[in-house]
Amino acid sequence: MQNAKDTFYITLRDRLTAVNPERTMTLRGVVRPGILVEEAEAPAAQLPLDAFVLRWTKLTADAQMPSALASMTCEIHYATAGTRDNLGLDRGRALEAMDDELLRMLCPASTVKMNYTQTPAAQMSTSIFWSQAVFAAEATTRERVGRVVTVEVFAFQEQGEL
Amino acid sequence: MSADLSTQSPDGHAFRLADALLRASGGTTAYLQMPTAPGDAGDTGQLGLDAPNFQPLPLSPVILRRMRRVMTEGQPQEYELLVSGSAVSAAVGAMQVASADLLFQMAAGVVVAGELFLIESVALSEAMGAVYVYRLLLRESGSGWQMQAGN
Repeated sequence: MQNAKDTFYITLRDRLTAVNPERTMTLRGVVRPGILVEEAEAPAAQLPLDAFVLRWTKLTADAQMPSALASMTCEIHYATAGTRDNLGLDRGRALEAMDDELLRMLCPASTVKMNYTQTPAAQMSTSIFWSQAVFAAEATTRERVGRVVTVEVFAFQEQGEL
Repeated sequence: MSADLSTQSPDGHAFRLADALLRASGGTTAYLQMPTAPGDAGDTGQLGLDAPNFQPLPLSPVILRRMRRVMTEGQPQEYELLVSGSAVSAAVGAMQVASADLLFQMAAGVVVAGELFLIESVALSEAMGAVYVYRLLLRESGSGWQMQAGN
């Protein structure tokens, strides 16, 4: 399952670089695309603005198939306060831009599974694929507007895979 | 509306007073857990595979005190860390970051007396435009890790 989670993140990150190369953030002293896996970073009181945060929640496994099919729920959290130049009055437009970026990052809805514990990363035998994004209602907290998008990610469990 | 154009002579007395009060009240050293520079830019660093190698950044004098609030079952205790403004100013210069806010945002936590705490929020007090003390709201880390002084 971990390989599927890693592959999903790296795929979205690489697609974000193509969709909007200007969406970057500085995290742990490194400028990188504005997307992160929450469980792979230091805990924070507030999620960062103008970045996509992947939070893995539910896991189910269907063992009735020749290979177990794992289904993992990924919540993608993002929020913005707009831009300084507009004193935040463009936060609705900024959120809509992130909605659009995410839709484009999620298409196509499959990719080949990779093993990133090896260097260089090794291609695996199966693919991961995911459902259509479910967009939750826009949430406003003071100057921040944000949204949670839920995606079901599916992956077959390969022989000897953790 | 007009600006206040009266003469002010910032002589750093607020810094000295804050530092003296913090030291006199049992001031100690806190260690911000800062990312190494340059950081890990590889895939493995972003996936939690590589050790991040945080480095301790000492801040002194500081005072740690427990917040007075009703404890709730399952909720970690909250603490308040009062940090000298001059120490933060020196740390901002040493880390070559743009602001104290960014410094605290970059920190993965703070260690005081071997205990790891997470930074929940930051408030400040200033005199004549200079911040002489920072007040960090901390939450006890649920990890239970005992950190050695200085790391």
